[in-house]
Amino acid sequence: MTTQPHENTLEIRQLNATLPNGMRLLRDVSLTLEPGEVRALVGESGAGKSMIGRAVLGILPSAVVHSSGDILLEGQSLNAMRPKTRRSIVAKMSALIPQDPLTALNPVRKIGPQITDPLVRIHRWSRDRALKRALELLERVHIRNPERVMNSYPHELSGGMRQRILIAAAFAPSPRLIVADEPTTALDVTVQKQILKLIRELQRETGTAVLFVTHDMGVVAKISQKVTVLFAGRVLEDAPTEAIFNDAAHLYTRGLIAATPTPNATAEPFRPVPQDLIAQLQRDTQAEDVRFYQGGRK
Amino acid sequence: MTYSPKPPKPPLFSVRNLRLSFPDHAHKPLFGAAPRIEVLKGLDLDIPEGRITGIVGESGSGKSTFGRVLVRLLEPDAGEVLFDGQDISTMDENALRPLRRNLQMIFQDPMSSLNPRHKVWRIIAQPMKRYKCGGTRKDAENALEKVGLPADFADRYPHELSGGQRQRVGIARAIALQPRFILADEIVSGLDVSSQAQVLSLLQNLAREMGLTIAFISHDLSVIRHLCDEVIVLNHGEIVDCGPVEEVFSNPQSDITKSLLSAIPRPEIDESWFD
Repeated sequence: MTTQPHENTLEIRQLNATLPNGMRLLRDVSLTLEPGEVRALVGESGAGKSMIGRAVLGILPSAVVHSSGDILLEGQSLNAMRPKTRRSIVAKMSALIPQDPLTALNPVRKIGPQITDPLVRIHRWSRDRALKRALELLERVHIRNPERVMNSYPHELSGGMRQRILIAAAFAPSPRLIVADEPTTALDVTVQKQILKLIRELQRETGTAVLFVTHDMGVVAKISQKVTVLFAGRVLEDAPTEAIFNDAAHLYTRGLIAATPTPNATAEPFRPVPQDLIAQLQRDTQAEDVRFYQGGRK
Repeated sequence: MTYSPKPPKPPLFSVRNLRLSFPDHAHKPLFGAAPRIEVLKGLDLDIPEGRITGIVGESGSGKSTFGRVLVRLLEPDAGEVLFDGQDISTMDENALRPLRRNLQMIFQDPMSSLNPRHKVWRIIAQPMKRYKCGGTRKDAENALEKVGLPADFADRYPHELSGGQRQRVGIARAIALQPRFILADEIVSGLDVSSQAQVLSLLQNLAREMGLTIAFISHDLSVIRHLCDEVIVLNHGEIVDCGPVEEVFSNPQSDITKSLLSAIPRPEIDESWFD
């Protein structure tokens, strides 16, 4: 595959997704991801941030009946492909770091084959090469005894260790794109810091672009270069991380930042995003839905 | 705000030399007993009445285990747990029964701690009926009102609620019994920041209004900072830091507390954070 260096790793154009009852999950979402860039997708639960990641990977829930728009991976339109080609292209170019390290690994298989199998089956590597790469990556994520871990079952390992294994597995084939779906939400702060550091190191080494789904503005500030703020499946703001934290354009973004608790401030109340702002945004979205359904839909 | 000195009342809980271990079945020899893993290694502490005490530590530090000993879901190996002067650590279930109403819990995952087949009002009313302190639909609606949910939520099922609303139902169920002590175990770690802030400010207001004694278990020091009056930092089953929140935060004694504090990602750009 030949690709121009200036090409975006990922480009999403006007992506829409709708449930059978007419509820819209994604509303005209557009975003781009350059090679080696980390873009954070933020928003409250239900804002559609995980949906975008799943749409890119082609694993939207089967209940989604209607989706339009296009997704381009390194300039290739996924819509134009036959499903089989699409699956194999996506599998080769991208990987997922899931949220829950407890359920993402198969409990009855050893760790080793769970890392090496995709390398052998999808990337057509030899067993030896896959094994070597797996050991190398496990070492990179600071697992002390990689051989032993490869021979362990998931239940023998702690949550932090399992999450590190999933990161190693995602980075093993040096994919062009990684979707990280709240990879640190289940972990405590010290482990979270280690994991974020790892993702950053590996991502810089391999030049992988990362779509980082999270609701924690603290994490966003540390890991990302660009931020997309979502509300009810709609992009409210899309800006470089510095701009978001120094001078956010949207009130909602400011609300999210203010709601994030910090340990330094003196006793001050918890500040949720103001209810009237949320009500206003909901009215906007509904008005948009009316236009959407009255307008040019067959 | 001024820091009020310790109330003259005796502490609600006095814990002395609390020890607890679990059998380590992974290393059990074929014959003979499994070796034991020490989870709590001789804890000494008081939990003052009418205040919120934060219990922090990394995963595996024993914070949840300690909480479960306080509400006597676990029986310790040694030491005493004085609740209002009586030692509950070795009490049998019959003697504990009348105390149970006073030891309530709010759980981390409301989806698995609320019965999915019961309507909200029944979830709240059932324990009230059990402890003979009400249990009508009206009582449940009153409890809902206290946690800021409209009365018509009484007829909903848990799956019809958002995460924050579910957690409010969990709080309503606990406070409806007017317990003397509530254990809140990681109750906001599954929520997004905005609902987190809502649930926490609700809990803070309720605690002030009703004079609740709460042990709040969390790994998030920023939450503890704003919510709690006292804090206890655990590491591998030992207390490494404790005292009023302000003191511990401005002058942490142990490396554990310092590393927990520095690991919090603050919502500001800081290139040197990873170093």
